[in-house]
Amino acid sequence: MSGASVEPALRIRGLSFTYPRAAQSTLESVSLSVQPGEVLAIVGPNGAGKTTLLRIVQGLQEGYRGEVRVLGLSPGEARRRGLVGSVAQRSGAMLAYPVSGHDVVMMGATVGLPGWRSPAAGVRERVIDALERVDALRYADAPIGTLSGGQLQRIMVARALVIEPKLLILDEPTVGIDAAGQERFADLLARLKEHGNLTILLVMHDLRAVASGAASCDRIACLRRSLHFHDTPSGITAQVLADVFEHDLSPIFRGLHIEASGEQPRPPRTDQGSHDAGHDHADGGSCAHH
Amino acid sequence: MRGTITRTGDRVRTIEYLTSHGSIYAPVLVAGIAIALTSGLLAPFVVLKRLSFIGHGVSHTAFGGAGLVAALGLIGTMGQGGLLAYGVIALCCIAAAGMIGVLTARSGAEGRLSDDTFIGIVLVGAMAVGAILMKMSSGSGPMLDLETLLFGSIVAIGPTEAIAAWVCSIVIGLVLLIERRRIVFWTFDEPGARAFGVNTDRARLVLLLLLAFQIVVAMRLAGVLLATALLVAPGAAALRTSDRLAQVVNRSALFGVIGVVGGLVLSFETDWPPGASIVVVLLLIFGVSVIFGKPRKIEGVIAS
Repeated sequence: MSGASVEPALRIRGLSFTYPRAAQSTLESVSLSVQPGEVLAIVGPNGAGKTTLLRIVQGLQEGYRGEVRVLGLSPGEARRRGLVGSVAQRSGAMLAYPVSGHDVVMMGATVGLPGWRSPAAGVRERVIDALERVDALRYADAPIGTLSGGQLQRIMVARALVIEPKLLILDEPTVGIDAAGQERFADLLARLKEHGNLTILLVMHDLRAVASGAASCDRIACLRRSLHFHDTPSGITAQVLADVFEHDLSPIFRGLHIEASGEQPRPPRTDQGSHDAGHDHADGGSCAHH
Repeated sequence: MRGTITRTGDRVRTIEYLTSHGSIYAPVLVAGIAIALTSGLLAPFVVLKRLSFIGHGVSHTAFGGAGLVAALGLIGTMGQGGLLAYGVIALCCIAAAGMIGVLTARSGAEGRLSDDTFIGIVLVGAMAVGAILMKMSSGSGPMLDLETLLFGSIVAIGPTEAIAAWVCSIVIGLVLLIERRRIVFWTFDEPGARAFGVNTDRARLVLLLLLAFQIVVAMRLAGVLLATALLVAPGAAALRTSDRLAQVVNRSALFGVIGVVGGLVLSFETDWPPGASIVVVLLLIFGVSVIFGKPRKIEGVIAS
């Protein structure tokens, strides 16, 4: 794709969304862009609109205002063309289902194949490749009910990768996974980045999880209805986090291993207004201000 | 079994019936095998997706359909060869399945009422309408044989029904073959399937219509109350014997055939209603699988 270096993997301009009968908008004038090969972590508390934003990017939620382009296409078209892979926050998959990890990835690879046709050799190879990419080949034949949370997560990531997407969306990938598992997730993220051309959108509400994966993130976007920050992890301040999470998160903030301003964060604002004008970049790292 | 088994000489009744009265009993076995095969294919999905209550809802709609049959004056055609009356009942069941599929999809999207609520409403509504229609039409013609409707009957199945059962089973098998990947993905991981572009509402509707179709076919043999047992017990038993979906489906079909054939033999030998006899054998199979099979955690979901 020759235009890949020019066209952002994801471009959102002035995105607003209000659920029917809701008194307040869920997303308000959100603008951001992600370049191909970048890892963007979208961070925010519960109810900040993260999952809604992801649903819109995946083409699963209509009725929004503003512009959303995924690899230059509408979200629905990008999904139909298999350019977007996703791993849901709670997959809803049944542990009791009599399938192995290999079967699960095969489901993703063959979902569009007519029922009477067997998968071609190339499809089987893609399944093995996807399992290899997430280092899950060792336990791919075990029943899914016997796998740990972290192993299941890798299987689900392999299922998303098997369609060879350009954009991979991971919704709360470390929820329900212990500290060691979070470390391994950071390894997985670094491993996925090695492939270069894959753009990754991470959504997290747990700053500790962000801290463990921060080294692999190119940018962090702080979302609470509107975008409060959108830049490299080193640019984030304690005040931004206090505004987004409405809580003094200094101890965790120090765990991010990024330069702190040294000031104590002011009490959280209630108007969700903008701040941090120094991070307003023209492209790629733009921060929405309201 | 004393007093219930009447033997002619030393011969077991089943063999004698199949040899000397083959024209009467052979179609029952032939139809039973077709019904068992397709029930067995569908049963693992019913168990895994917890659709057995939907099956009950759909089969009870047959009672409402029977009321409509009574109101239309078609009760006289409900014996062997009475496909018209059963066609009316089948339409009611399939319409109910379609309605449940559409309404649950819509309610799921709006996050309002649960599947159980809709099924409960359809189930009692159909029973109530059936009872009222039967009462209104009583005395104006032949009475409905409720025992046959509720528990099934061997004499209701002749060569025509056997052929119909095989035609329906082949149709169900073909649709399942065509839709299998979407149905498997949907039953395994509904949100994941949606993210992969599977129309989950359509997958649900297709499976519900297949269930309705299957219940209608099985109803003739096993009755309204017991038809859904065929769609649950073989799958539940098979799920305790394997961790591989293909094996589970194959074994479920095998258990279904053993249950139906074994149940019919029991019915021939004892004069018990065929539906009840089939259920007894299926429960025995399930019991054995519980004792000797692997325990399974049905309620778990992956929290990734």
